[in-house]
Amino acid sequence: MNRQLFQYHPQIGYTFIPGLKTRVAHDGGGYLVQVNQAGFRSSREFQRQKPAGVFRILLFGDSFTAADGVSNIARYSDLLESQFTGIEVFNYGLSGTGTDQQYVIYRELAAGVECDLVVIAVLVENIRRVAARYRVYLDAEGNRIVYAKPYFCLESGHELVRYHDPVPKEPVPEDHLTPDELQHVDQGGNFAWFRQAVNTLGSRARDVAQRWSRYQPLPAYESAEHPDWILTKAILSQWISQCLSPVIVCPLPLYQHVEETCDPAAYQARFRELGTETGAVIHDPLPDYWQVPRDARRKFRFPNDIHPTPLSHQLLADSLMPCIQSFLHQRGR
Amino acid sequence: MTVHVLGISGFYHDSAAAIVSDGEIVAAAQEERFSRRKHDPRFPQHAINYCLGEAFIETSELDAVVFYDHPLLTLDRVIKSLLTVAPRGRQQWMKAAPSVLGVKVHVERFIRKALGPNVPVLFTKHHLAHAASAFYPSPFDEAAILTIDGVGEWATTSIAEGSGSEIQILKEIRYPHSLGLLYSAFTYFCGFKVNSGEYKLMGLAPYGEPRYVDLIEERLLHMKPDGSFRLNLEYFGYLDSNRMTNERFSELFGGPPRPAESRITRREMDLASSIQKVIEKVLLGLAGHARELTGKRNLVMAGGVALNCVANGVLQRKKLFDELWIQPAAGDAGGALGAALVASCRYFNVPRKMNSQGRDSQRGSYLGPSFSKSEVRAFLDRENYPYEAVGDSQQRALKIAQVLSEGKVVGHLAGRMEFGPRSLGARSILGDPRRTDTQVLMNLKIKYRESFRPFAPTVLAEDCSKYFEMEGESPYMLLVAPVRKERRLEMDLSRFDQGNEDLLEVVKQPRSDVPAVTHVDYSARVQTILRNDCPAYYDVVKAFRERTGCSAIVNTSFNVRGEPIVCSPQDAYRCFMRTEMDLLVLEDCLLFKKEQPRWEEEDDWRNRYELD
Repeated sequence: MNRQLFQYHPQIGYTFIPGLKTRVAHDGGGYLVQVNQAGFRSSREFQRQKPAGVFRILLFGDSFTAADGVSNIARYSDLLESQFTGIEVFNYGLSGTGTDQQYVIYRELAAGVECDLVVIAVLVENIRRVAARYRVYLDAEGNRIVYAKPYFCLESGHELVRYHDPVPKEPVPEDHLTPDELQHVDQGGNFAWFRQAVNTLGSRARDVAQRWSRYQPLPAYESAEHPDWILTKAILSQWISQCLSPVIVCPLPLYQHVEETCDPAAYQARFRELGTETGAVIHDPLPDYWQVPRDARRKFRFPNDIHPTPLSHQLLADSLMPCIQSFLHQRGR
Repeated sequence: MTVHVLGISGFYHDSAAAIVSDGEIVAAAQEERFSRRKHDPRFPQHAINYCLGEAFIETSELDAVVFYDHPLLTLDRVIKSLLTVAPRGRQQWMKAAPSVLGVKVHVERFIRKALGPNVPVLFTKHHLAHAASAFYPSPFDEAAILTIDGVGEWATTSIAEGSGSEIQILKEIRYPHSLGLLYSAFTYFCGFKVNSGEYKLMGLAPYGEPRYVDLIEERLLHMKPDGSFRLNLEYFGYLDSNRMTNERFSELFGGPPRPAESRITRREMDLASSIQKVIEKVLLGLAGHARELTGKRNLVMAGGVALNCVANGVLQRKKLFDELWIQPAAGDAGGALGAALVASCRYFNVPRKMNSQGRDSQRGSYLGPSFSKSEVRAFLDRENYPYEAVGDSQQRALKIAQVLSEGKVVGHLAGRMEFGPRSLGARSILGDPRRTDTQVLMNLKIKYRESFRPFAPTVLAEDCSKYFEMEGESPYMLLVAPVRKERRLEMDLSRFDQGNEDLLEVVKQPRSDVPAVTHVDYSARVQTILRNDCPAYYDVVKAFRERTGCSAIVNTSFNVRGEPIVCSPQDAYRCFMRTEMDLLVLEDCLLFKKEQPRWEEEDDWRNRYELD
């Protein structure tokens, strides 16, 4: 029995089911999930008003931040909280989302929440989701189901316009999609059939195949003019500009970057440009991963699941800590 | 620091997990409910996952994992038993070897693989686990303990004494002399599946005459004055073959075993009746001896034979003990709970937790997962299934009662799932007991099972004595009691008595003013309910009384034949749509069949379940 974890949400597409408290069986053994009434993994409710003397961080991201595979208390958000007294981290991470959906979460649910710092953790792969209008999920029987997601388009060259608002509730039969819409179904990357074939051989075979082929999973970062990056940058820029508090953008690397089977230079360059243009602090944790000997980095992901392990979450917390500390010092703490 | 102990049973049949924290029972569930494979014997990974989630602890917080059986002692028994029949017994060895050599001796490795290399692993003896499951949750500070099953390591029957946190085994009957295996032999011979068809045999018994009792006592079973017994192994096949009985057994009872699914004849009815009487007699003997041996005023029981609620009812009415408490998960699944409890008390010296209200600490046996209203709605909204949300529990109960009073059948999912083989309202199919057609309708069109099988009532505890000749509570549906004489209707059994073996003809006859829950011998397997046990369910029964004047409803497990009882809203909806139920209750949501979209499946779902 796989317990249903998500419920429909008309603006975001879905959230975790409010009040859920369960253990999810997983490649890593299993992990404890507690969801608050706002529909995010947290043992506390997200109160709008900030208590006096508390330094509050709002954190956004996808499953790397919501932490598929890892219990609430072992996530980098919760580790940061436990390592600093007087700070609160509201983890708005939502599995399966792109930066666009995370921006919708901010606008719909978090914009009015008092805070001292906003951290946007962008799994670098999210760029593909930003370009997508539909996503493929597997149901309990393993069947493909396509759901619509909220998405943005840049119109008149600079105006972000939101579509799928409200997000259609029903799954969309793939044969009902137009050829243009089919182009915008996120299949999880390029060469879907080839990836599927390699994946059936197991994670070790996949690693070898990627190393051998010099696989570059995210070509959209290779040019500052790539439309997917332009759209991602526009969303992030608008989001950063709307925040009343300082913003840290933290590009989270894929395991291929961590394990140095592909080159991160392109995405690192794009995020540096973003920081220069928006004034947001860009915190890149990849150098901290690379401090660890290469043959030990495999432990940063699960045997058959690419999500960060508790060890990886600890590294992320340690990596972010000095950056956050600098903001704490600015606040005289 | 809280002491968390996880108990596990498995690798034979009905694997399960249970978790006890500081002596409190937190959660328990059978693996089959999650895996959807009836009597699933595999390592209970889903049940463990559920238990850890309910306790909301990491595996690193476990103080120990306890297996309910000692694999090496079991191996010892298997090998020595085979040596006694060598060179015969090859088939039996082939059947037992994968479990005792391939899996059971590697239990520790399984556990460490699933829960981490550092988790402490303990083992307890099988009958001690049963005894603990019966005594520790009971409401008694002291009690005699009787555990009877097929076999666990060497023991098949144990008499023990419980006092405070202590349990002392006083006496054992050892394999191959087994009351459980004797009953299973008759189950097999009558054409039902061993380890699941025993209930059918018990349900068939009232149709027959106990004309084989003397033969069984003369040839098969030797009972001694102290309640102990020995089997005449010349008639049984379980020592040296894959069959429970042999040719001599067949000769004794007039021919070969009844083929499964073939017509049930008078012979099977009479055999069922006879072995039932024998079991009752042995049980009374053992209980009497347990009383003499321990001097205790109360008795607790576990082991598969303790699920024979007809015998339990007889024992209760004999008044050998002041009070009787039976572990609702009396079979091997309950061993997981017993294992956790015995380790908690004995190994970690956690004081036994007794219910301060004087009731048991089994929590109504509602120890499985629950699903919040948000979860139910998330499921229904995602699938776009039409439903009516009725937040007010009294209003909801009235609506359900109205549907029931119209003769319709209701699937009911509310609160935490039951632990043990009986549905107690949390995962139940409900019907109107007053109607003569309810039993046939529910057997044939809802459960897809044999027409002769009786249904059980849930009755408001405060009104129980108005319907049944029973004192005290029966919250776990483990006691059979007679329907009150003034409610009975005379049956015309002349055709049946003249040799007509059509059970349906008997079933269709009204037997009382609650015919659907009155068996042909005017008995009923009673569940009494108090509001505290399961408020949503109690309210339904009460609303039914308010509407109809009848304080009882039909309660049968929420499944079809061969399917494990439903666990999740998704399971419940699937079962609802596959059968002719009219209304489905998922927490506060009501789903009417006529409003649901057409249900389509690629293949015939009946083929997915092995008939039990």
